[in-house]
Amino acid sequence: MDRRKFLKASAVAVGAAALPAMATAQTTGGTFDLTIEAVDSEMIDGVFVFSLMFFDRSEEGRPILEVTEADIVTINVTNLDTRPHGFGIPGIPAASVASIPPGGSATVRFTAPVGGTYMYIDPTLAPLNRILGLYGAFIVHPKLGTTAAGSPTPYSRSTHTPQVAALFNALGVHKRFPGNKWVPRDVERDKLWLFSQVDPLIAARVDAGEVIPPASVVPSFLPRYFMINGLSGYDTAPHKIDASLDWSKGSGRIMPHGREGQPTLIRNMNAGLCTHSPHIHGNHIFKLSDTRADGTVVLNTSCYELDAWPMEPMARRDVLLPFEKPGDAVVWPPKEEPFPMRYVMHCHTEMSQTAGGGNYPQGMVTHWEMTGPL
Amino acid sequence: MQAADWTKTGVKGEVTYSTFGCNPFQESNFPTPDRVAPDVNVERHMDVSLDLPTPDGQKIRVWTFTDPLAPTVAGRAPMHPAPLMRFREGQIVHSTLDPKKNAHTIHHHGIEPTTVNDGVGHVSFEVNARYTYQFRPSRAGTFFYHCHRNTALHFEMGMFGPMIVDPPEGPGTLFSGGPKYDVERLLVLDDMDPRWHTLEHDAGMCGLDVGLNRFDPKYFLANGVFNNRTTTDPRVVINAKLGQTILIRLLNASYSVLETTIGLPGVCHSMDGCSLGTEPWSSPLPLPANRPFTMSTAQRRDIIIRPTARGTFPVRFRFLHWVNGKVQDNGRGIVDTRIIVS
Repeated sequence: MDRRKFLKASAVAVGAAALPAMATAQTTGGTFDLTIEAVDSEMIDGVFVFSLMFFDRSEEGRPILEVTEADIVTINVTNLDTRPHGFGIPGIPAASVASIPPGGSATVRFTAPVGGTYMYIDPTLAPLNRILGLYGAFIVHPKLGTTAAGSPTPYSRSTHTPQVAALFNALGVHKRFPGNKWVPRDVERDKLWLFSQVDPLIAARVDAGEVIPPASVVPSFLPRYFMINGLSGYDTAPHKIDASLDWSKGSGRIMPHGREGQPTLIRNMNAGLCTHSPHIHGNHIFKLSDTRADGTVVLNTSCYELDAWPMEPMARRDVLLPFEKPGDAVVWPPKEEPFPMRYVMHCHTEMSQTAGGGNYPQGMVTHWEMTGPL
Repeated sequence: MQAADWTKTGVKGEVTYSTFGCNPFQESNFPTPDRVAPDVNVERHMDVSLDLPTPDGQKIRVWTFTDPLAPTVAGRAPMHPAPLMRFREGQIVHSTLDPKKNAHTIHHHGIEPTTVNDGVGHVSFEVNARYTYQFRPSRAGTFFYHCHRNTALHFEMGMFGPMIVDPPEGPGTLFSGGPKYDVERLLVLDDMDPRWHTLEHDAGMCGLDVGLNRFDPKYFLANGVFNNRTTTDPRVVINAKLGQTILIRLLNASYSVLETTIGLPGVCHSMDGCSLGTEPWSSPLPLPANRPFTMSTAQRRDIIIRPTARGTFPVRFRFLHWVNGKVQDNGRGIVDTRIIVS
């Protein structure tokens, strides 16, 4: 165990050094240095599970890589594990390395594609290395994201559908959406929910040196931990909010937080093998995007309002949380009930609400907060 | 009633690992804030279990909500799923829960109330005795309600019922300005893992491994009818006359990915209680005959079908495993029913 990083969860141990959550890495000259490392990662119930993770210089796992469309992006990947690994970003063919030997390094260099939400993974032995933990978010901000009418969006104008443009144009204007436009490049208005699951038995078999045929992974997969951005249950939302809270990473990047009329993008991805059904309370979301078979981003031609939406393995699906007045509140703003309004989001396929076979609801759950009226 | 003390609830109390999980906030007779006179009152109790006879000669225990205000003995009796709630858009609803046995909540799924009326213990409180949830449904569509304590288990155990919001013009119209219908069929699809149905009320809340990460359903139901009778049972089969418009309200209350195939073409006019095509960013979704579509857990779809010929048309629901995508229970996880156009 001493050969590895040792990542502690926050809920059961105070004073932990590093969280197995996601750091954030804004591009500096479009270059990222990633390592692939074996770690012992603490689950929400205190159990340690062998994992593989990408790290950057921050010592925090699975950095969120953020770039701008048309940037020349360089990602250097060093494999510090004892097994060969690879690198890839579905939807960006040039960002791919077939194999990196133990101790070796490789570099991918590519032009950032249109704006949207992407996932970097180790695609080798798929899905094995990915479900051991080798995944992270790659976010591309558009170079020109405004609609023709001037409303900011997270997407390149060339990819806009009339429906996505109409929705973003309606924000702050339409009678349903008093308040603000969506604000680009503000981590409080741009959230990430990257779902995953952990099967400690498969992890232990890999750690013991067993060679696991990739085709056997799906039939035998029995997850016991369910995560958003590497965190579960209590750890998925900040419970004390003050000026020191970093909204760009950890639970701050998960929990939507703002006043009525501050619409917020939520980038949903699923790195795991379970089909989730995230369900949000308090507001319905608007579905914005999907991916094509080749992994490229496609915007929707009908932005359905949903309170539950499917997230199948490797799905990437952005949604907009409008931060509307809760439509069915009788007295608004409430006089006797204090702010913040706090609403949960949880996967409704409720096996995902457990940890270690019980511990409801220490699984794939978080909440969002509306701190006040318009 | 006592005055509201928010510090004893998830609203202003300290949220800890314990109150988040094992020991959520609980209250008795908490006063509904901003209470106003209601247009409609509903009430639900939780005081009974129900043993359903299964097709293989066993019995499976379910929990349910009962309706003490129902006008008939049959309406007050325990049933599965729990009794329908039906409101009009714009009505002020008081939905009172008096659990009678243990702590529970009601989450009116798809309704957007204030936090304390949303029925989630760790951000508000669970109900030991009598709380009145207050809300005013602003959209017509298909919803449901369920207990949100130890939800993994309580929802699976049957603590849910359907909820319909009609537009002001009443049943017969899906939503104002939307399609009208002559025949309405709500279909609640559910699956049950009998192992889960032997567990105690709080199993899986406080550290013990009770295997709630594993779900292997053996029974598959529509509207509480087991799948050996769903092609004939009048609670499930859809009967219409040629020229009539059918509305099917679908709810996936299972823990499977639900794949639906309908032998007639239809159009989905609302999802999750939200109308399609009433605002410029969405449009109704055509559903060609015999083309399967999937719904994940808790999703609803409202589908309008206008048959153009007499006949019997199949409707098939396949319950797919959330990891391997295969039909549950070695291919037996299927509910069949029919649309009979005479």
